[in-house]
Amino acid sequence: MSRAVARDPETGRAVRLLQIEFDQACLRFNDSFSLLDINWTLGEGQTWAILGGSGSGKSALAAALAGAGELTSGSLTGAGEHVGIVSLEAQAALIERERLRDDSDITDVVSEGTPVRDMLDEVCTDPPLLARLIRLFRLEELLDRGFRKLSTGETRKVLLTRVLTSHPSLLVVDGPFEGLDAQTVPLIRDILQELSARMSVLLVINRFDEIPGFVTHAAYLEKGRLKLTAETCDQVSMNLLSRLSHLKTTEIEIPDLIPGARPPALKTGEPLVDIRKAAVRYTDNLVFENLDWRIEAGQHWQLTGPNGSGKTCLLNLITGDHPQCYSNDIFVCGYQRGHGESIWDVKRHIGFVSSELQWEYRVGTSCRNVIVSGFHDSIGLYGKVSEQERQTATQWLRVLGLEEYAERPFNQCSYSDQRLLLIARAMVKHPHLLILDEPCFGLDDLSRQLVLALIEKICRGSESTVIYVNHHAQDKIEGIEHYLALGADRDQH
Amino acid sequence: MSNYFNTLSLREQLAQLGKCEFMDPSEFTDGVNYLLGKKLVVIGCGSQGLNQGLNLRDSGLDVSFALREAAINEKRQSWKNATENGFAVGTQEELIPTADLVLNLTPDKQHSSVVTQVVPLMKKNACLAYSHGFNIVEEGMQVRDDITVIMVAPKCPGTEVREEYKRGFGVPTLIAVHEDNDANGEGLAIAKAYAAGTGGHKAGVLMSSFIAEVKSDLMGEQTILCGMLQTGSLLCFDKMVEQGMEPGYASKLVQIGWETITEALKHGGITNMMDRLSNPAKIKAFELAEELKVIMRTLYNKHMDDIMSGEFSSGMMADWANGDARLLAWRKETGETAFEQTPGSDEDIPEQEYFDHGILMVAMVKAGVELAFETMTAAGIKEESAYYESLHETPLIANTIARKKLYEMNSTISDTAEYGCYLYNNACLPLLADFMSRIDTDVIGRGLQLDDDGVDNQHLIEVNASIRSHPVEAIGQTLRGYMSAMKSIS
Repeated sequence: MSRAVARDPETGRAVRLLQIEFDQACLRFNDSFSLLDINWTLGEGQTWAILGGSGSGKSALAAALAGAGELTSGSLTGAGEHVGIVSLEAQAALIERERLRDDSDITDVVSEGTPVRDMLDEVCTDPPLLARLIRLFRLEELLDRGFRKLSTGETRKVLLTRVLTSHPSLLVVDGPFEGLDAQTVPLIRDILQELSARMSVLLVINRFDEIPGFVTHAAYLEKGRLKLTAETCDQVSMNLLSRLSHLKTTEIEIPDLIPGARPPALKTGEPLVDIRKAAVRYTDNLVFENLDWRIEAGQHWQLTGPNGSGKTCLLNLITGDHPQCYSNDIFVCGYQRGHGESIWDVKRHIGFVSSELQWEYRVGTSCRNVIVSGFHDSIGLYGKVSEQERQTATQWLRVLGLEEYAERPFNQCSYSDQRLLLIARAMVKHPHLLILDEPCFGLDDLSRQLVLALIEKICRGSESTVIYVNHHAQDKIEGIEHYLALGADRDQH
Repeated sequence: MSNYFNTLSLREQLAQLGKCEFMDPSEFTDGVNYLLGKKLVVIGCGSQGLNQGLNLRDSGLDVSFALREAAINEKRQSWKNATENGFAVGTQEELIPTADLVLNLTPDKQHSSVVTQVVPLMKKNACLAYSHGFNIVEEGMQVRDDITVIMVAPKCPGTEVREEYKRGFGVPTLIAVHEDNDANGEGLAIAKAYAAGTGGHKAGVLMSSFIAEVKSDLMGEQTILCGMLQTGSLLCFDKMVEQGMEPGYASKLVQIGWETITEALKHGGITNMMDRLSNPAKIKAFELAEELKVIMRTLYNKHMDDIMSGEFSSGMMADWANGDARLLAWRKETGETAFEQTPGSDEDIPEQEYFDHGILMVAMVKAGVELAFETMTAAGIKEESAYYESLHETPLIANTIARKKLYEMNSTISDTAEYGCYLYNNACLPLLADFMSRIDTDVIGRGLQLDDDGVDNQHLIEVNASIRSHPVEAIGQTLRGYMSAMKSIS
């Protein structure tokens, strides 16, 4: 452990200053799970909350602090020593130890196993604290019971007491409030707060709203990667973290469709989009020519290409926003373009988000109405709004974690909140075709995570076929398996 | 050809002038159906032509553009506009004979020659549409009997027509059927489908007549819309500079000021515009406006009279025949004014300051709108028409000044409007000279700067009552109510 020496102001004794550093660290835990490229420093006196969905690696990170995992690349310093960990894994390990100690199968004498009292004394370096915790957690009558005979909640309390009284430099609690009854939760919270003034504490938390007030730092993991860290005093970051963890850690349902609001069914067997030998040209400039693109229902596509290769142009041929859609051979959602259909007939089937749309959405209307306008394919609202439309919009606001913004004017929202609202606007009618033209453009890292999480949810959870444009490789969306490249990218393929 | 209006009896003139009714949205449930599958050919690929064409095509209609051979061969701007927007383009000889509906969207002064060339090419029983009736009413163009003649006039610049359509809305639109040319009785059905194709039916359609449209349009654009804003810009700017104010600030206060104060007008009429002022400033603006109305009323009457008698149009047509000599000279003069030549400063002027420091500008807008409205309705034009041609369009014109001053305004509006605007300006500047000599920077430039904003209750009540009870406020509330009923919520 890299450690400077400092003096405790009261006792004058040397105290250890904690510092655990991950530098591009990759750690393997078993065949199927690794932590990847972790860059992170946990310092003295900090209190961390680690968040993430199931399988994100938050428990693995906690375990790594206690020395678990095999470092496969990068470096990790300071982990393992003087780290007390309370987790399901630690609990399982103790129970396993008990099982091995139990020789009743040999002696044929039924053993109660190690009594709780012994389990606690085993590691205790602070008897007064132990006495206090025993009283606090009402462990008196458990002291003579065998550890293995305890209930889950009781085991948790014993484990916590064990670790707390061992005076670690870093206390790691994975799921501090899991398995505890309602009366115990505040007790634990108070004791953790008290300890956090004396040692570094790290809590692995499942829900954003469980983060105790005394936490100073928060981190968010996804798929084994540390996606973001923030100080809890940074309201902006915490707000985004809240929504991000909300999306990933609660099972969100895409709000149901209002009966009759979905665009009319399309003929089965027909492609959603069929573009044949398309060309877009201006007097002095050819954007592309000879372009074929056939999109079948259910095929999610990613469209790539350098700036100026015509990605937006191509998408606008599909949405009908590019006027040359009438001079090309284009079939979209049941319509051969330019044969008497109205643009609004076509748009009924399409949900669309782009930076251009965001610029054009300069209407002084509420966030809720922006979502409702997706039912009408309009910018602003010009027709009567049904109660069902309003309710569905409210559900979407909940999905986005923007409920409290329902009545706020759209143009007063941050750029990324506007983007989220426009994505909801595009999805609200469950369109057959959802076109997301660089949905992450101009967004900071945090907002980008949020947008990607939402799109992935949409890809998985609805009947929409997605066309996604992005040139950042790291913004890959799970579920997209078809690729079309334009410009220099097109030539390479 | 002679002035068509003047060939009518007084009874017929009054009947035509008094035509303007708000149409119920239920009249448009058929949308564009009447024109589906028919061939629409647009002549003129400027802002109205191109943008109306884009909307009509997006509504499912078959639209192509007829251009002159030279424009096609030399790939002129009109050809670029049409082809880059994916339209089929051909010569008039190629396209007009196939057309069921020909949309003449060229500038006024080309109408006579265009219509004269085109009509012989048109097939029997086809329809000719205008977006402005000058050619029919003022020039007395006679169109072959079998041809239906209609007008669909969106009450906004072409770019706005397109932008509102793309949002899923439209702009208020005036339609009319030329009664002398409706042999098949289908003029109204075509006009309604055309209006629906541009999206106009979503924002409200007024059923009017060629005559009401022309006479009210000319009056509005010459006086309050362009003339008053030009004269006001020059006078206000010069006054501030004369009083030693920073020219950059003065230029900006005027240039952006019109847009800012008329934005308040757009939302809540003159009442709301006046309510943006403090009580003492409101009373001051009210008094100035009353004074201006007395001074300018004769000028407004003269414009209305010249428009009604045909004096205005014959004067302008004489200038057309003379190679636009007067128009070009006046345009040059305007470009050389100190206001046009002085760039606005970069400083940030808070929105409220445009009101507080622009009391005289507010007074000019109030006086101009009310006078134009009163003069039009006194001449037999319906309140609905008078409202659209005065109050409704003022913010749209003010936007153009905010972009690039009078130059932008005069290049955006039609040559007809520009000509009338200069006529007004040339008469109004000397008319207001004495009034302006009594004006100081408290009402233009620096604000009242009072220590005490107190006013007499009774006086304020009288002023408010006078502002609110003007007839333009009542009809404005009704028409804006229709708009927002359609715009529904926010």
